[in-house]
Amino acid sequence: MTANATPRRLELRILRGTPMAPSPPQFESYFVEEAEGMTLFLALNEIRSQQAPSLQFDFVCRAGICGSCGMVIDGRPGLACRTLTRDHGSVITLAPLPVFEWLGDLSVNTGKWMRGMAERLETWIHTTGDPDRLSLEAPMEPAEAEAIYELDRCIECGCCVAGCGTARMREDFVGAIGLNKIARFRLDPRDERSDEDFFALIGDDDGVFGCMTLLGCHDVCPKGLPLQTQIAFLRRKMAAQALK
Amino acid sequence: MQIIYSDVLVIGGGLAGLRAAVGTRRRGHEVIILSLVPPKRSHSAAAQGGMQASLGHGAKGAGDNEDVHFEDTVRGSDWGCDQEVARLFVHTAPQAVRELAAWGVPWNRIQAGPREVVVDGRRVRINEPDDAHGMIAARDFGGTKKWRTCYVSDGTGHAMLYAMSDQAVAASIPVHERMEALALIHENGRCHGAVVRNLVSGELSAYLARATCIATGGFGRIYQISSNAVINEGIGAAIALETGLVSLGNMEAVQFHPTTIFPAGILVTEGCRGDGGLLRDAAGHRFMPDYEPEKKELASRDVVSRRMTQHMRAGHGVKTRFGDHLWLDITLLGAAHIDAKLREVKEICQHFLGIDPARDFIPVRPAQHYSMGGIRTDAHGHARGLRGLFACGEAACWDLHGFNRLGGNSVAETVVAGMIVGETMADFVESGEGDLQVSTAVVREALAQEEAHLAGLVEGRGEEDASALMAAMQTIMTEKVAIFRRGDLLESAVEELRSLLIRSRQISLRTRRHAGNPELVTAYRVQKMLKLALCVAYGALERTESRGAHYREDFPRRDDAQWLKRTLATWPRADDTLPTLSYEALDVSRMELPPGWRGYGARDAIDHPDTSARVAEVAALRDRLAGVDRHAIQSALMPFSHLVPPPFRGRNARLGDQP
Amino acid sequence: MDQTVVRAGLPQAVPQASDIPREKLPARRAGRSRWPARLDLLQSASGLFLALFLVAHMFFVSSILISHEAFYTVARFFEGVYFLGKPYPWLVSCVVGGVLTILVLHAWLAMRKFPANFRQYRTFANHRRSLRHRDTGLWWIQLWTGFALFFLTTAHLYGMLSQPELIGPFESADRIWTGNLWPLYLLLLLTVEIHGSIGLYRLALKWGWLEGRDPAASRRRLRWAKTGMSVFFISLGLVTLLAYVQLGIAHADRAGERYVPAASTSSAD
Ligand SMILES: Cc1cc2nc3c(=O)[nH]c(=O)nc-3n(C[C@H](O)[C@H](O)[C@H](O)COP(=O)(O)OP(=O)(O)OC[C@H]3O[C@@H](n4cnc5c(N)ncnc54)[C@H](O)[C@@H]3O)c2cc1C
Ligand code: HEM
Ligand code: HEM
Ligand code: SF4
Ligand code: F3S
Ligand code: FES
Repeated sequence: MTANATPRRLELRILRGTPMAPSPPQFESYFVEEAEGMTLFLALNEIRSQQAPSLQFDFVCRAGICGSCGMVIDGRPGLACRTLTRDHGSVITLAPLPVFEWLGDLSVNTGKWMRGMAERLETWIHTTGDPDRLSLEAPMEPAEAEAIYELDRCIECGCCVAGCGTARMREDFVGAIGLNKIARFRLDPRDERSDEDFFALIGDDDGVFGCMTLLGCHDVCPKGLPLQTQIAFLRRKMAAQALK
Repeated sequence: MQIIYSDVLVIGGGLAGLRAAVGTRRRGHEVIILSLVPPKRSHSAAAQGGMQASLGHGAKGAGDNEDVHFEDTVRGSDWGCDQEVARLFVHTAPQAVRELAAWGVPWNRIQAGPREVVVDGRRVRINEPDDAHGMIAARDFGGTKKWRTCYVSDGTGHAMLYAMSDQAVAASIPVHERMEALALIHENGRCHGAVVRNLVSGELSAYLARATCIATGGFGRIYQISSNAVINEGIGAAIALETGLVSLGNMEAVQFHPTTIFPAGILVTEGCRGDGGLLRDAAGHRFMPDYEPEKKELASRDVVSRRMTQHMRAGHGVKTRFGDHLWLDITLLGAAHIDAKLREVKEICQHFLGIDPARDFIPVRPAQHYSMGGIRTDAHGHARGLRGLFACGEAACWDLHGFNRLGGNSVAETVVAGMIVGETMADFVESGEGDLQVSTAVVREALAQEEAHLAGLVEGRGEEDASALMAAMQTIMTEKVAIFRRGDLLESAVEELRSLLIRSRQISLRTRRHAGNPELVTAYRVQKMLKLALCVAYGALERTESRGAHYREDFPRRDDAQWLKRTLATWPRADDTLPTLSYEALDVSRMELPPGWRGYGARDAIDHPDTSARVAEVAALRDRLAGVDRHAIQSALMPFSHLVPPPFRGRNARLGDQP
Repeated sequence: MDQTVVRAGLPQAVPQASDIPREKLPARRAGRSRWPARLDLLQSASGLFLALFLVAHMFFVSSILISHEAFYTVARFFEGVYFLGKPYPWLVSCVVGGVLTILVLHAWLAMRKFPANFRQYRTFANHRRSLRHRDTGLWWIQLWTGFALFFLTTAHLYGMLSQPELIGPFESADRIWTGNLWPLYLLLLLTVEIHGSIGLYRLALKWGWLEGRDPAASRRRLRWAKTGMSVFFISLGLVTLLAYVQLGIAHADRAGERYVPAASTSSAD
C-alpha cells in the first residue's frame, strides 16, 4: 500500500454474543479505515474504543509470542495480533476458536483447557529429589538443547486444536499440542520417564492413535512447530511399545 | 459472594509469582495463585534475551563470579540500588539458573572448539575450552564486563515461564485465572488477602490468606509507546498504594529500551546488540562509538536510549510520517545465527515489518520498557507498611535495580526474588504472626466498598469516557515524562494528570453490565493507573538530578550529595490528587562499592560527603586483606549471608574451582 | 449477604513432581490397554496390503491389453495350473476369501474413525468447509470413497467368490458388457484408485516414512506421487475396461461362451 493511495474501508464481520445471552451468537459488521501496517490487534482495539465498547477479545503481548489471541480468521485459526489486514480481503470474518469453552464474542478459555491437558499428560520434568543448585549443572549436548527448544516453542495458542477435525469431533482427544508436549519431554534427558510411562499417557485413541493425520495442526501452527513429524515419530515409538 | 481461604495468596502468575508459590507449596502450605490471564501468557514470556547469572563458563565468561556481577549491577543502577540486595541476588542467581536447568529449561549450551562471533562490528574467532562443552552458554549484554547472560535462543522468558508454570502444575497449585485483585483486605497494619473480581462473570469474592504476595509485574501501559504487554497496567502496585500504608519506591525510575520496532513498539532483544548488532542512523553511520567510545552499543540501556534520542534530535534519524527512527543492523550476524539464536526477532520482523533481518536493517526507536519502581519491600520481600504483605518481581522495589536495570537482570530477579519470598512467606506462615485472624466485618466491608465502587461506575451518570482518559494519560506520559525530562514539562504533566484523575471520578459507561464488560475494566483500571502515573511524574519532578534512567535536562548531573536516596510514594487518603512523597537515604558508609563513575555515560557526579571516607575505608580493607579468599574480603566489606534463606546458602560451584 | 466458604481444597501432603518415585508412575495407570495401538497398526497394515494387492491386481487385469492369451495365462496361473497340473478355481475362491477378510477387517477398523453420530458429522463437515485445508479434505474423500467401497467391493468380490472359474477374456468381457457390470466397475475403479493412493500417501505421513531431511519438501513430493498414482491407475483401468467393453460388444452374440486358448486364433482376429 503506498502512502497516498486511498486507504481501504475494511469490513470486520465479528461473531458477537455471550453464553448467557438468550439469543444465539450472530455476525455483526464493523467498519474501519485501514492504516499502514494495521494488524487485527489495532483494528479490534479501534472498534472497541470507538464503536463496540463491550466487544470481548484477548490480547496480551500483541507480538505473537504469548498465544492469547488465537481466533478463527477467515475460516482459519491464527494469531490475530500478528495478522496484517493487508494480507486479507476487505471483508474479514472473525470468530472465536472452537473446541475451547466460549466466554463471549472472540474470547475463549484456552487456559482451562491447557491446564487440564497439562495435568492429564503430566507435562513437567519428572525427576527424583530436589535440584542440586550449588553444583555444576549436568552437561547437555548443544544440539540436544536446541532440539528440545524447537518443541518447547509452543505458545499454547490452541490453533492446532481448533484446526484439527479430530479434536473438534472428539472432545477427549489430546490434540497435536498434547502430543508435541509428550514428544518434548520424551526428548529431554532430564525427564526420567520411559516409553512405557508415555504410553500410559498417550497410547490410546484419545492420544496418538486417535490422530487421523489431518495435518491441519501442522499447517496452522503459528510457531511452525514440526507437529507432523513429531506425531509420526511418537506413533512409531508408541506402536513399538505396544508390540513389546 | 464467596470467601476463599488459603495459607498463601499469590497475586500474579508470572515468573516471580509462580516461583514464590512453588517455594511455599514445597514447604507444605496451601497456595492459590490469581492471574489476569493463564500464567503462561504472563509477560515474563516476552523476555527474549536472557537471564544473568555468573556461571563463568566458556571463553568469554571465564573469570566471572558474584563479585563481577555485583559491580556491574551496582554501576548499572547508578548507585541507586540496595547493595545488600544486589549481593543476595548475585549469590542466588546461579542457583536459580541451575534449578531451572533441572526443571527443564533448554538453556543453550557451549560447543567446545573454535567458533566465530561478532564483537564490536568485527568477526572474531574464540575458542571454547573442552571442559566447558555442554555447559550453559552465555551471551554478551549491555553494561556487563563478562558474557553472563544465559539464554534459550531468544525465547528465554518463554522457556523459563513454561518450566516454572509446569512446576506449579506438578505441585498441584491451583491458579485462578481471569481473576483480578481489586483491593487488599487489611486491618491494623496486617494484610489478610484481597477482594478479587472474576473478569468473566464480574463477580466479586474475598480471598483470605495468612500471607499475601503481589507479583503483578510492571506498569508500562501508563505509557503510550511501550514494549510491555497490554495487561501490564500495574494494578497490583496500585492496590498496594491504595491501602494508604504501603509505599511505592522510586516510581520515577522508568527504563526505556533502545530497540523496539518502529512504529509498533514491539521489542527486539538486547541480545541483537549483545551478539554483535550495530545501531546506524539515516546515513547508515554507526553513531554509538562517537558518543560512548568505551561500551558503544553495549552501554547500559538508559545511556543508549538517551544517545539515540539525542542523535535523532540532532536530525540524524530516518524521518517518516509517524516520526523518526534509527536502524538496528544485524545483517552482519548472518542468516544462520539469526535462524538459530534470534528466531523470535526474525519472526517479529517478518510478521510486523515484512522484512528479513538477515538482509534488511530493522527500524527501531526507544520505548518504555521496565519499571524499576514498585512496592517497596525489605531484603526478604516483606512490604513496608503492612505485615503479611509481600511483593516480588517487577511489581516490587526490592531495590536490586536502583535507577537502571541491566538487561537480563530482571528475569533473574523474578526467579531469585521468588525463591526468597517463597521461603520468607513459609517462615511467616509458620510463625506466630502467621495466624489468620480477621473479623468478618472487615471482609464484608472491603467487599461492600468495592461492590459499591463498581456499581457506581456501571450506573454512573458522569460524562467522562474511560478509554479517552486512558489515551490522554498515555500521551502525557510518553510526551512529558519520557527519556529526557524537564521541570516545566513535568510540572504540566503533573497538573494534567491530576485533572485527569479528578475527571476519572466521573466516568460513564456505554455498556451497563457487570459481566464480560471490557469498558468497565478500563474504567476502574484507569482510575488506579492515573495514581501510578502521578507517582512517576511527581517523583520525577521532585528529583532534581539525573540518575540512571531518570534524566533531567535541567539537572544533568548525578547528585549524590542531595539525592542518594530512594523516593517513597504513599497515597494516604482516597480523595488525594497527589501522592505524598518521602525519602529514604542510602547509607554510603555501608556500601561495598561506594559511588563512582559507572564506566560509561557521564562522569560529573556531585559526590556525597561520605563517599571519600568510604572509598578510603574500602581501599584500606582491601589492602589489608590482599591475598585472602574473595568471599572473606566481601564479607568483611559488607556481610549479607544473614539475608540468605538456609536452602540457598553455600558456594556456587564453577568449572575452575579448586577441589 | 450470603457467604459460601470454600477451602482451597488441597490435602496437606500433595506429592510434588519430584517426590513421586518413578516406579510409581506407570503403576498408577497400569493396565493401559495395548489394543488401540494394535488396531491402529492393523488398520494401516490392512490398508497397505489392500493397496499393494490392488497394484498387482491392476496389472494382472490389464494383461488383457497384451493379449487374450496373456490374461488367460494369468487367470489360470491363479488357479494353480502351473503347480498342480490342472486348474482348481476354488484356489481363487480362497484368495478372494482372504482378501475379503482383510477388506472387512480394514473396513471395520476404519469405520471406528467415522463420525460417531450426526453431531460429529456436522461438526466435521463445517470444519472442513471453513478451514479449506487440503489434507483435511483428503480425509473427507477417504471417508466417502471408503463408504462407497464398502458396497462396490462387496458386489465385485461376491462375483469373484461365487464364480471363480468364470475369469477369462470372454468370461470377464461378457460379465462387464452383457452382464451390465461396467458401470459398477467404472465406479469401483474411480473410487478405489482415489482411496488407495490417498491411503498410501496418508500412510506415509502417518508413520513418518520417507520424511528425509526436509519433511515439507517430501510431503510435497508425496502429494505429487499420490496424484500421479491415481492418474496412472485410473488411466490404465479405463483403457483396460474399454478393452473389456469392446471385447464384450464383439463377443455379445456369443455371450457365455468360454475362452479356449487353443481356439484363440478364431476369436483374436
Ligand atoms: C518485551 C520484553 C522483553 C524483556 N526481556 C527481558 C530479558 O531478556 N531479560 C530480562 O531479564 N528481563 C526482560 N524483560 C523484563 C522481564 O521480562 C519482566 O520484568 C519480568 O518477566 C516480570 O515478571 P513478573 O513475574 O514480575 O511479572 P509478569 O510476568 O508481568 O506477571 C505478572 C502477573 O500478574 C498478573 N496480574 C497482574 N495484575 C493482576 C491483578 N490485579 N490481579 C491478579 N493478577 C494480576 C498477571 O496476570 C501476570 O500473571 C523483558 C520485558 C519485556 C516487556
Ligand atoms: C470396504 C471398503 C473400505 C472402507 C470402508 C475403507 C475406509 C477407510 C477409511 C475411513 C480410511 C481412513 C482411516 C483413517 O484415516 O484412519 C481408510 C484408510 C485406508 N484405506 Fe480404506 N477403506 C476401504 C477399502 C479399502 C481398499 C480396497 C483399499 C486398498 C486400496 C484401502 C486402502 C486404504 C489405505 C492404504 C488406508 C490408509 C490406512 C491408514 O490410515 O492407516 N481401503 N479406509
Ligand atoms: C482376490 C480377489 C479379486 C479377484 C480374483 C479379482 C478379479 C478381478 C477380475 C478378474 C477382474 C476383471 C473383470 C471381471 O472379470 O469381472 C477384476 C476387475 C476389477 N477389480 Fe478385482 N478382483 C479381486 C479383488 C478386487 C478388490 C479387492 C478390488 C478393489 C477394491 C478390485 C477392484 C477391481 C477393479 C477396480 C476392477 C476393474 C478393473 C479395470 O477397470 O481395469 N478387485 N477383478
Ligand atoms: S503447537 Fe502450535 S498451534 Fe498448537 S498450541 Fe502450540 S503453538 Fe499453538
Ligand atoms: S490435525 Fe489433528 S488429526 Fe492429527 S495430524 Fe493434527 S492432530
Ligand atoms: S497477543 Fe500474544 S500472541 Fe497475540
